Amino acid sequence: MNGLIPYLIIVPLFGAFSLPIISLAGKKAREPWAVLITAVTLGVAAELFYTVWKGGEILVYTLGAKSPLGKGVSFPIRIVWEVDLLGAIFILMVAFVAFVAVLYSTEYMRHDTGLEKYYALILLLEVGMLGIAMTGDLFNFYVFMEIMSISGYALVAFRNDTWEGIEAGIKYMFVGSIASSFILLGIVLLYGQYGTLTMAYLAKMIAENPTFTAKVALGLLIGGLLFKSGAVPVHMWLADAHPAAPSSISAMLSGLVIKIGGTYALARMAFSVFSTGIDTKTIGWVIILFACATLIVGNAMAVIQTDMKRLFAFSSVGQIGYILLGTGIGLAAYGSDVGNIALAGAIYHTVNHAVIKALLFLVAGAVIHGLGTKNLNELSGIARKMPVTSFAFLVGAAAIIGLPPMNGFASKWLIYESSALFNPLVAVIAVIGTAFSLAAYIRVLFTFLGRPSERVMKAKEPGKAMLVPMLLLVAVIILMGLFPWFISDRIMIPAAKMLENAGTYISAVLGGA
Amino acid sequence: MNLLYATLGFVGIYIYVSLASLLWGGIDRKLVARMQRRIGPPLLQPFYDFLKLVSKESIIPRDANRFFELAPVMALATSIALLAYTPLGFEPIFGTKGDVIVFIYLLTLIGFLRVVGAVSSGSPYAQIGAQREMALLASREAPMMLALFVILWRLSELGVTKPFSMGTFYEHSIWELGTPLSLIGAFILLIVFLAWLASEIEVGYFNIPEAETELAEGPMAEYSGRHLAIFELANAIKAFVSASLVVAIFFPWGISGYLGLTGVPAMVVELLFHTLKVFGVLLVSMSIFRAITGRLRINQAVNMFWTRLLPASVLGALLLAIDTLGVIA
Repeated sequence: MNGLIPYLIIVPLFGAFSLPIISLAGKKAREPWAVLITAVTLGVAAELFYTVWKGGEILVYTLGAKSPLGKGVSFPIRIVWEVDLLGAIFILMVAFVAFVAVLYSTEYMRHDTGLEKYYALILLLEVGMLGIAMTGDLFNFYVFMEIMSISGYALVAFRNDTWEGIEAGIKYMFVGSIASSFILLGIVLLYGQYGTLTMAYLAKMIAENPTFTAKVALGLLIGGLLFKSGAVPVHMWLADAHPAAPSSISAMLSGLVIKIGGTYALARMAFSVFSTGIDTKTIGWVIILFACATLIVGNAMAVIQTDMKRLFAFSSVGQIGYILLGTGIGLAAYGSDVGNIALAGAIYHTVNHAVIKALLFLVAGAVIHGLGTKNLNELSGIARKMPVTSFAFLVGAAAIIGLPPMNGFASKWLIYESSALFNPLVAVIAVIGTAFSLAAYIRVLFTFLGRPSERVMKAKEPGKAMLVPMLLLVAVIILMGLFPWFISDRIMIPAAKMLENAGTYISAVLGGA
Repeated sequence: MNLLYATLGFVGIYIYVSLASLLWGGIDRKLVARMQRRIGPPLLQPFYDFLKLVSKESIIPRDANRFFELAPVMALATSIALLAYTPLGFEPIFGTKGDVIVFIYLLTLIGFLRVVGAVSSGSPYAQIGAQREMALLASREAPMMLALFVILWRLSELGVTKPFSMGTFYEHSIWELGTPLSLIGAFILLIVFLAWLASEIEVGYFNIPEAETELAEGPMAEYSGRHLAIFELANAIKAFVSASLVVAIFFPWGISGYLGLTGVPAMVVELLFHTLKVFGVLLVSMSIFRAITGRLRINQAVNMFWTRLLPASVLGALLLAIDTLGVIA
């Protein structure tokens, strides 16, 4: 079934490249085309996820030949794509949120110009993210990350007639390029030292001969990837980029980009490439320290915001803290039950937060669409005029705080539980972070519910093409919330186990060699 | 079939607690009236009130949104759901390990839904009442949670089948530790819990959000007709449930053992006896407290929680924790 893997790239890439031509057929053609392409991608992703989940094996696809190994040599010479359960979960998540965001854009972006570029970029963004999740080659990873980042820069600055779009785009681009060059430098160092770019083979080489260069490269990679994920000392681009982008793009940036290009890549590097050769405890504690800072700063800054999308952006920073915390504990307590639960919690929370934050940004988009402002002080009493949107917000807010009937509860619970078992102080920090985020969202909720202001009285609900994506996400949040332990035991914990077991990751590519 | 019986039992409990909690409302009003040398309303007055409210027209303010009508229904639904996790003389119907968190969550949620309903009404009186309720809500839960968790932790040390569940209290009681430190700690926590109970049902010192004379009923200002009736019923159930928690922690003893009963009759007898104990606790924490104290200002009440009750709770918790070391036997 590994023949499915290339279609994840082929379909959206074909969609992106054909869009300018399709657009010649008239303005009405490009939106259905983009929706169709993302829907097909979602279908492929779901099939791939099901295959990996049922089979419990890592799928490997080699570009250009049957075997990744060269003729007569025992090391891989070709680009390999390697999808384990973690990758499959992320692929499904990316394809789903991208589909929802594109469906939402059909109405949300109607008043903008240059939309054939918009849809081409959004499909390229999807290509980049899918590529990151599936690749087993370090340089290929870099290329996909740049595809994702560059489409991200362009999409943040898409509304180039607004000052904030341009400002945020420039900031995001400068900071992102520096982060990318850190990553490239790390890859260069690894290649110079070990002479290979295949992650699995590299992991084997590092295990045999852990050098100082490998540690420097790891430092550069972690630095670059923390930039991309918006961890605390380097989160400033995020708080500008997410509010400035169109809301459908914010949903993808906040739900997907910071996780695929940030925490997923971090987990992949740390677990699959470096865990065999380098002391995981140290990396784990480094990540935990960043995670604690991210938790507190992100959530605390969310409380004082008056701009709704900025508040959600800071809340994303805060939630990245939980994901990093789970990953960090997974590394620091490598191989133990605590580490396993923490890692499962991190993966679970990534998926949950992708869905929840996508919903919240779509809600913000609906509010902006209806009212033309995202200033919370002017939004009092929206619930009177936009009850469905307010209901969607209520569900999203409850889920992100982690209230039981929603999906956020189980994932946060896994992270709390494992951090309390690992180190009570870390658990206290996690709970303080949640208290801040509770305060932030209750503030927004009360603004939504309060006495309607004059401006609000003119608002009305958005159309079906915007409501359906929101309600779809609400349904997913509630459904996932009803079967939390099924998902955690059957999907997330096996995924965490698969990720921790670097040996199978290596032998999937190298075979017995 | 098991689930079916559990559901039937659950419905029965819901009906029983609704009646008992409304009856307690009547008893309370009668008692307070007698304390003030009045005759007071008949015992069944809350039932008449409820029926009258249900039959009256419910007025929805112009500025209200959908959540205004939804909040009372959800509050009642939450309080009914809460009954499934409440110790009522026997182990809760749907009790499992760790259900204490569900209990606290649902109990807090009822208060929160009151706030949501009040904010949704668009009335400034209700808004101010809601703000006060929120401040009180945030303050009162900390000492209670600390006390509850430390007691459950201490009891789970003795070996229980389901740690951190409400059923724990019927396996071991806090008094059977018997050491001087644990007795002192338990007494301190009992006082904390009685104060918490008074603030949970908002009487006496803590009648701040509703504050009839200043705020015209606060959060409930805009509610009328059946919406108000539903809220009143939810509040009555909540009072019963909160008192049940105090009873289960500090007075969990049953009588069916002495009477030699088992099975369903034992449960009925325990439920009746539990109701009696709940009325006893409410008599102290509600009726007497309400009759002899006036209202505090909101800042005084919040201060009281953070500077008096939380330290008391910490002290009680520390005493119980030190007791495990066995330093002072």
